[in-house]
Amino acid sequence: MSRLPIIIAFVFVEFLPLKASPLNYARDIRPILSDSCYNCHGPDKKARKAKLRLDDRSAAMESGVFSDGEMMARLTSNDPEMRMPPPDSNRVLSDKDRSKLVQWLKTGAEWPQDDRHWAFVPPVQPKIPEPQSKWEGNGIDAFILQRLKKEQLTPSTEADKATLIRRVTFDLTGLPPTIQETRAFISDSSPEAYDKVVDRLLASARYGEHMALGWLEASRYADTDGYQNDRLRYMWVWRDWVIKALNDNMPFDRFVTEQMAGDLLPDRNFFTQVATGFNRNHRINSEGGSIPDEWIVEYVADRVETMGTMFLGLTLTCSRCHDHKYDPIAQKDFYRLFAFFNNIAEAGLGPNNGNSPPFVKVPKSWPDLSGEEVKFVAPEPVKIKVVQTSVPRPQSGAPDTVMVLHELNQPRDTYLLNRGLYDQPDKSEKLQPATPPILGTWNDNWPRNRLGLAQWLMDSKHPLTARVTVNRMWQHHFGLGLVKTSENFGVQGELPTHPELLDWLATEFIRKKWDLKAMHKLIVTSATYRQTSVMKPELLKRDPENRLLARGPRKRLTPYVIRDTALFTSGLLNGQIGGPSVKPYMPPGIWKSISNAAYKQDKGARLYRRSMYTYWRRTIPPPTMMTFNAAEREVCIVRKDLTTTPLQALVLMNNKTFVEAARFLAERALRLRITEPHKRLEWVFHTVLSRNPTQDELEVLVADLNLYLNDFTKRPDDAKKMLMVGDKKADANLSASELAAYALVISTIFNLDEAITQN
Amino acid sequence: MNALNEIYEQHTRRAFLERSTLGLGAFALGSLLSAATEKRRNAVSGLVGLPHFTPKVKRVIYLFQSGGPSQMDLFDYKPHLASRYGEEVPESIYPAERKTTMTSGQKSFRCAPSILKFAQHGQAGVWVSEPQKHLAQVVDDICVIKSMYTEAINHDPAATLFQTGSVNPGRPSMGAWVSYGLGSENSNLPAFVAMTSNGRAKAGQPLYDRLWGAGFLPGRFQGVKFRGQGDPILDLYNPAGVTRAQRRRMLDSLNKLNEEQAGRFNDPAISTRIAQYELAFRMQMSVPELIDVKSEPKHMLEMYGPDAAVPGRYAYNCLLARRLAERGVRFIQLYHRGWDAHGNAPKQVGTQCDGTDQPTAALLRDLKQRGMLDDTLVIWGGEFGRTIYCQGKLTAQNYGRDHHPNCFTYWLAGGGVRKGITYGETDDYSVNVTENPVHVHDLQATIMHQLGIDHERLTYRYQGRYFRLTDVHGKVVKDILG
Repeated sequence: MSRLPIIIAFVFVEFLPLKASPLNYARDIRPILSDSCYNCHGPDKKARKAKLRLDDRSAAMESGVFSDGEMMARLTSNDPEMRMPPPDSNRVLSDKDRSKLVQWLKTGAEWPQDDRHWAFVPPVQPKIPEPQSKWEGNGIDAFILQRLKKEQLTPSTEADKATLIRRVTFDLTGLPPTIQETRAFISDSSPEAYDKVVDRLLASARYGEHMALGWLEASRYADTDGYQNDRLRYMWVWRDWVIKALNDNMPFDRFVTEQMAGDLLPDRNFFTQVATGFNRNHRINSEGGSIPDEWIVEYVADRVETMGTMFLGLTLTCSRCHDHKYDPIAQKDFYRLFAFFNNIAEAGLGPNNGNSPPFVKVPKSWPDLSGEEVKFVAPEPVKIKVVQTSVPRPQSGAPDTVMVLHELNQPRDTYLLNRGLYDQPDKSEKLQPATPPILGTWNDNWPRNRLGLAQWLMDSKHPLTARVTVNRMWQHHFGLGLVKTSENFGVQGELPTHPELLDWLATEFIRKKWDLKAMHKLIVTSATYRQTSVMKPELLKRDPENRLLARGPRKRLTPYVIRDTALFTSGLLNGQIGGPSVKPYMPPGIWKSISNAAYKQDKGARLYRRSMYTYWRRTIPPPTMMTFNAAEREVCIVRKDLTTTPLQALVLMNNKTFVEAARFLAERALRLRITEPHKRLEWVFHTVLSRNPTQDELEVLVADLNLYLNDFTKRPDDAKKMLMVGDKKADANLSASELAAYALVISTIFNLDEAITQN
Repeated sequence: MNALNEIYEQHTRRAFLERSTLGLGAFALGSLLSAATEKRRNAVSGLVGLPHFTPKVKRVIYLFQSGGPSQMDLFDYKPHLASRYGEEVPESIYPAERKTTMTSGQKSFRCAPSILKFAQHGQAGVWVSEPQKHLAQVVDDICVIKSMYTEAINHDPAATLFQTGSVNPGRPSMGAWVSYGLGSENSNLPAFVAMTSNGRAKAGQPLYDRLWGAGFLPGRFQGVKFRGQGDPILDLYNPAGVTRAQRRRMLDSLNKLNEEQAGRFNDPAISTRIAQYELAFRMQMSVPELIDVKSEPKHMLEMYGPDAAVPGRYAYNCLLARRLAERGVRFIQLYHRGWDAHGNAPKQVGTQCDGTDQPTAALLRDLKQRGMLDDTLVIWGGEFGRTIYCQGKLTAQNYGRDHHPNCFTYWLAGGGVRKGITYGETDDYSVNVTENPVHVHDLQATIMHQLGIDHERLTYRYQGRYFRLTDVHGKVVKDILG
């Protein structure tokens, strides 16, 4: 109990600033107004009460509520009729925030003339702060150190080399370093040693695979349609395009443009066409009885919403049914964006298995296309056939096709849809494709189609795309973005912890011609990234989430990396890149028990592919991945909270994949030239955790090994049973008891917190 | 992203103090493993301020009937319709635009009155059709709502709406909201359990993980699926050849090594992980005991019917539901497939009832005998109803029925719900609600209300917005509450 004050202190605040600074409208006041007041006094005119709006400076000023005492009275009154927000409104205004507003009113309610929300103002490259010490490696560090100084904190020392190479290898390739790689790095005392490692990792084909994963999750990439019977589709060619583009370090503006409008580019070809599959990854409904018009609206809306989350960091979804409650995005703005995506030659219902048009045939030689094959192909138009009594279905694309975008000759008309409903268009005004005015002006040289939209997104003056993208990169490496709400840069999103750093990175990204690898390199070579992740007790209190970055990142591995690491260290991993998705182990009846499809597990080498190639059935995603918080791939997700549950423990202890991997790492250990058990275990430990065990650790493991060895020698049948877990047969020349005993110790190592964590 | 998010979230929980003193790992690990402390640590309490008011029930058992049971063949009796057999259902009654495309192309929409026999049962004289013999005997304990309605006409969005409050994916399911808000009463089992079973005539419409998912809530609030095949919970059992003693030994070593790591990095997340391993270990004991339905007395198994001891069957799941309820699981969600009667409806309804009627009634009886019906809310119903007009060919003995969103029947039983009443009315054709309409969100608001939750106040901020189960709708149906 005596620890109570400490706990409260570190839990109730993001981080504890050293001293309070004077109130600032954008930082301190608008978030409160937005959260507690905008619902009735914000941008949504239909929801507005008392004709008062607090989101607009001049309207708010004119209302006089700041100066005439009205707002003060409403904030301080205890009369439920008077008090704001009304007690029955379910809007909460904490005492702390209430007193901030009161304080702000008392000090003259300062509201700057230019009150644009920070994220809507295009970033301007800030000057890098003057170097203060030898600690700073690059621009990132100067900004971080400046802030730390302000908080009277100091950076942590650099992580030891073993930790560092493990951290960066995981972050750039999704796999741990080998013992040889770790040792080579440790013994390389040249100043460029670390840079050499980073360059090697960036050049590895594993880089593109690992970096593709976040993109696939956000793009809701899957192998099935996602509704009801959840029929299959074939989109792996698009997935492989992403891996290749990332490995080739395609500039990010081109990467996005090809995906948004590869069918409209002047230099379009088969590859750019495949890229447009990005906007076909949404769910498609094949359920008999569905009304086609209703679902086309859903697909188009999904494209708008995905673009909003991935590139703009805005919750455009809100504006589908009404003017946005917080951000200056009107409902009409939503449907003007909608108009860009509303001209696809597609069908409302899916074909009930297979790709839905438009799709193109993929040559057998993919991805090594030759001559004619590289050329753009016009997809065949939608051909609707009425099946059963009246279900209108399009033709179905075979396994050798991939879905793409293709424009209709005659665009569909776009209207605002009341409450977002397909059958309630407001026909009083036909809407033309346009971007929200708050997000900058449109250049008339851009065509009013998806190509123009991509040019707008990737324009160097765009306020959001670069910021949102570098923020997700930061999130990838540090666990949290500089803007923690990486999906929401709007008024209700969190403010950046380091606004200048964010803008510096965003402008650097543009200055470096959208070079992704260069940006990753910039981040992972910073002194900030290279700090040890050990939490000093002082920091645990001040900054438990590590927002100020006075230490390095410590984060749990993703589900994909956890499984891949077990396969990799055991030697089971099949490193093939790309190709159709595979079906590794799955417990019995997972599909069959709740759907009308059966899972046909693969055999042999296909069981051991990287997890990114695992067949993704949207309504019943792979359970092991879900247990470790993978995104469902139903809609665009760019951030998942990682939680710790007992089900995770069960997976790592008992799941076939992990037990089999333990068996095969045991075989590797028993085949080493060294024969002393403690040396073998030392090698295993290093293989999994990239460091040598301490004496204490090793003693625990050796004692376990002896015990298990004794057990299994007495019960050889149990040893044999354990060696039957998994398809791959154990080496009969090795002692079953010894193998089983080692496997159980290795299972312990696989279950260590450290084994699924980047320190 | 950051395991510390969890620590953050825990601060709003009543159990925070208990857990944090332990959760800070490095400080208190010595005392960590005593059994009593373990138990306290893992019984996760709810949010501060919840329940919002005194709850009427401690738990919910939701018997979801997937596919859309036919209201006019089960509860919504329309005796005078017999004379309209074969007549066109007027368009003034049944508007064209909400017919699904499975039937909207039909040339005619002929009236297909139910051929199943109805009788009044219980003191209250509730109308129940013939195949529900067992339910008829306990009808004085239930409240029949004939006036349910929804907007969705396809299975996927309709079921998703019932379970998550939205037709679009990504929202938490009702059970996830409840376990987020109220926490768990049990330190050895999850707070929210989901089970599925297949229909007798046809397996039925597919189900989706999202129906018991956590949506944007932290993943640990999702329903834990109890399975009828293989391990009852995924990966519950030790690998072949590995004993419980070895597992204990392994956990002891794991704890030791993890503690060292915790000492080195000062990261409270490591201690959380240690605790979760201990919970997993306890589940390895408690779950096999839980699913051992053969330990039930013979008369109990007989009451639930011939499938009572067959894993994966509806009867087994009903019996398990009671055993879970006894052990403090808060939200028990069953799904039974097979109600989608597009053709051959009278026969399909009968076959479905053969597999479900007896266990459902047995569950009500069983709970009542144990005095648990007073603090348990039992809910029965599917994602929509069925059309009065015939899908396909109409004959004197046969008809098919398409999806129908405008009216259908649910029933509730247990804590705080009025017994033996029928609520709401439908028109002469069982097409539209004429009295006391109850929307999906109203039902959800009512369920939350009985658990002591104000559905408007249990919110979660996601993407800058405060989400709740009932979106911006939902009114508690006070009329049916005692």
